[in-house]
Amino acid sequence: MPSWPADTKYISHSTQRIDAVPKVTGRARYSSDIQAEGWLYGMILRSKWPAAKITKIDLQNALKTPGIKAAITVREGERIVRFYGEELAAVAGATKEACLDALRAIVVEATPLPFVVHETQARKEESPRVWPDAANASAGRARESGDVDQAFGECAVVIEGLYTTPVQLHHPMETHGNTASWGEEGVTAWSSTQGISSVRDGLAGALQMEHSQVRVITEYMGGGFGSKFGAGVEGVLAARLAREAKAPVRLMLTRFDEGLAVGNRPSSFQKIKLGAKADGTLHAFQMDNYGTAGIGGGGSSEGGSGSVDIPAPYIYQVPNTRVQHTAVAVNAGAARAFRAPGNPPASFGMESAMDDLAVKLGMDPLELRIKNDPNPVRQREYKEGSERFGWKQKYQKPGASAGPVKTGVGCASASWGGGGSGYTQGEAQINPDGTIEVRLGVQDLGTGTRTVIAVVAAEILGLRPDQITVKIGDTRYPPGPGSGGSTTCASVSPTVFDVCKRALEELQKQSGIADARGDNWFAACKKLGANPLLVHGKWQEGLSSSGAGGVQFAEVSVDTETGLVTVNKIVAAHDCGLIINQNTLESQINGGIIMGLGYALYEERVMDRLSGVLLNPNFETYKLPGLADVPEIQLVLLNMPERGVIGIGEPATIPTAAAIANAVANAIGVRVAGLPITPAKVLAALGKVPPSTSPPA
Amino acid sequence: MKAFQYATALSPQSARQLAADNGSYIAGGNDLLGQLKEYLASPEILVNIKSIPGLDRIESGSKHWTLGALVTVARLEDHPEMAKVFPTLHQAAAEIGSRQIRNVATVGGNLAQHSRCWYYRHRDTLCLKKGGDLCYARHGENRYHSLFTGNTCISPVVSNLATAFAALDATVIVLREGKETRLSVAEFYQKAWDNPTAHNSLNQGDLILKVEIPTVRKHGAYLQISDKHAFDWALVSCAAAASVKDGRLSHARVALGCISPMPHQVAAANDFLEGKPLDDATVSQAADLILKNAQPLEGNGYKVPMARALIRRTLLRLNG
Repeated sequence: MPSWPADTKYISHSTQRIDAVPKVTGRARYSSDIQAEGWLYGMILRSKWPAAKITKIDLQNALKTPGIKAAITVREGERIVRFYGEELAAVAGATKEACLDALRAIVVEATPLPFVVHETQARKEESPRVWPDAANASAGRARESGDVDQAFGECAVVIEGLYTTPVQLHHPMETHGNTASWGEEGVTAWSSTQGISSVRDGLAGALQMEHSQVRVITEYMGGGFGSKFGAGVEGVLAARLAREAKAPVRLMLTRFDEGLAVGNRPSSFQKIKLGAKADGTLHAFQMDNYGTAGIGGGGSSEGGSGSVDIPAPYIYQVPNTRVQHTAVAVNAGAARAFRAPGNPPASFGMESAMDDLAVKLGMDPLELRIKNDPNPVRQREYKEGSERFGWKQKYQKPGASAGPVKTGVGCASASWGGGGSGYTQGEAQINPDGTIEVRLGVQDLGTGTRTVIAVVAAEILGLRPDQITVKIGDTRYPPGPGSGGSTTCASVSPTVFDVCKRALEELQKQSGIADARGDNWFAACKKLGANPLLVHGKWQEGLSSSGAGGVQFAEVSVDTETGLVTVNKIVAAHDCGLIINQNTLESQINGGIIMGLGYALYEERVMDRLSGVLLNPNFETYKLPGLADVPEIQLVLLNMPERGVIGIGEPATIPTAAAIANAVANAIGVRVAGLPITPAKVLAALGKVPPSTSPPA
Repeated sequence: MKAFQYATALSPQSARQLAADNGSYIAGGNDLLGQLKEYLASPEILVNIKSIPGLDRIESGSKHWTLGALVTVARLEDHPEMAKVFPTLHQAAAEIGSRQIRNVATVGGNLAQHSRCWYYRHRDTLCLKKGGDLCYARHGENRYHSLFTGNTCISPVVSNLATAFAALDATVIVLREGKETRLSVAEFYQKAWDNPTAHNSLNQGDLILKVEIPTVRKHGAYLQISDKHAFDWALVSCAAAASVKDGRLSHARVALGCISPMPHQVAAANDFLEGKPLDDATVSQAADLILKNAQPLEGNGYKVPMARALIRRTLLRLNG
């Protein structure tokens, strides 16, 4: 079994991103920066109806618009559209303005159909059906263990609550899209993706081509959070437009588009009943949850994991449980995988219920967790995290702090799988001049993958990370995994380890130098003669593992007169396995926490009941945390090299919203049971909001 | 956006002529460009007014100050005396948008900006304000909307400066039909109160020249609450100004933003405050008077307690 070196110069230390300078100076070419020779803009015409029968799409006037080189429909013939923003047609032209004019010149004949955009309405029998042959609400089979009804009777304390989470949009800073260009060998797509291989497969399928005829390149890309695995309608349209126009087409979605049809996190309405014995031992749990994944979810959503199901009772073991999930279709864009699918809502529901139970038991909620969480790693995290946070000093009974601005604390936990992908491969080319290039068919989602590769290679070869040329983001390199499921680091690191070990062995053999590392490197390379050394390697067992926890603590201030919530501090304790690069690790945890804070306080897709449109299709109204909203963040990192490499991307964001929600409840003494926790909801929970004077619509 | 002509005016009179029947003035362009892109406005000509001499002046005086329409919000924020002479205005300016926006946003543009109602701004809804026959917000998502209105549209005024100017009893001086016309802040927004399609009382071609602010009120404050801590529209804003002598108020005025199509002022409350001690009882009674007859809808009832808290806090800050 291979093993990581014990004494390290770079692994588990901090190396600045090797692409930091190109990124901040603008030299790094993101997918949206690509300007292929003779390229055209591409744009999409979308349905302005939430549901309609489309009888005719007339492209003639669009084709006559000056500067327009191609105009196509997404599908031939009559069709039904089922959500506002569904793709109808696309144009390619020399300027953005020409495309905008052409989109307005397309004549669409449609018969509007009844629609429903809110899951609370859609689940009712009398609501319009999203799909004609199926009821909107489809309940999964209830999962039951033990005897729940009897067990609740045996509990000393039982709480019930309805905990809700909204539909959250991914909104990566770089929108979805790509540049597609046709050549003799097929099509090349410079795609903003977190899975170059899956985009290649998707394009090949949609265009009915061989995989070898599709090349996908992703040098730099600006985030995906789970929504960018597939080729997407926009990717296929770019390729079709490029073929039609006989010129490369760059089709990047606008921010407006981005909210409509490229995924989201399903909502949840979790009706939870939780009971414990008098000493706090959990005894019975029941959850009836429904949520919407838009027009679809689960297997039908691109990238998978867009199901409304959430793990319950999450991290806790309860002997008697009954869980049922109901997916509710609505006329809105479909869900996709979103950073730790299912888990942030699961954490919010269950951890809220745990705190409500603790209040009724008269127990410290941290004690209740320690009592009921079977995971030994998280037990360490409760201890080390709470000490750093000062839980004992800070925790007060709910609503106990004086004055109109009340402070409170809360905590919540995470559980995630992760692990490495066994099919990951890589290669290294060592040149006689001592330069070395390491190539893997992965992509850097923005998490620091490029730097991780350089760090591992430098460590094994006794070089500096800046001496390693890392080549990634091209389907012509050895196959690698998509960047998802917190698996990239655990896939890539063991692969680079193997590649570099083999390369070093071969270099030593060919050069006759027993240890070619460090000071001997250049002498050894020189002995290669005229030809470079090319060595292939693959992922190896024993250098990574799966399973990650994480516990976060939040301290908030809540203004009980205005409802404003301010997060003062987050302490995050996470098990990190063998840390490869500490500063990109920390950066990823910080990012996860900030995203979780957005989920807690600001983010929500707002659909309009009357018109069926998305009401907040921009950053003015879809609110994301800004610098002024970000608290002090302290990290407690459990470096556990014995576990090998594990992932952190997802566990980092799972418990944040739940911890903040619990802190708010602790501050004001009542629970805001629905995310996001806006001033309006805080004031409502405090009973300060007067009733409406107008009849409900 | 539709193609348009572009011209630069060198005097208010030439600007007016260039704007003709369907032109728009452009200074910072923060609001106008968004409207052009969304086809909310399709003027035939954009008249650049940034080169008109004198409109960017801040003139101080013992009785009043005058701010040219082209004075940027950033200059209000950075002006060394503003925080002392008009703390209300200074604080209101500092809360607008982001620094990048404040660098180009002007006094005139901030006052003349149009509704931020998400139905009004949406490309695929034809709401009452755009000439449709339905106020979607009234029956739909109205969390950001008004507690008071004189018509069916419930889109509120969101200009921070308007709220501050109202509390300072400022006068907006507008070039209208060749003459300088003096409008109180209430008059400047009266039409939006009366008419669902109006954003303010400006007629086509009216050009804001300057704002005159009396210095009689020596104390002032402005507070707002937004969902976020920075770079976000106010949910409710409150401005107050008065003179405070021996703990008693004179010339007190309170105005609220984002709860009405015009800065919400209640004469009875201002009258009530005259000569009153600045204490908890006074500010609570003032809040009651100001919020009397509020008409909360399904989603915006929270603005009532929020406004009440802001009125109390803003007034109590006048002591400082």
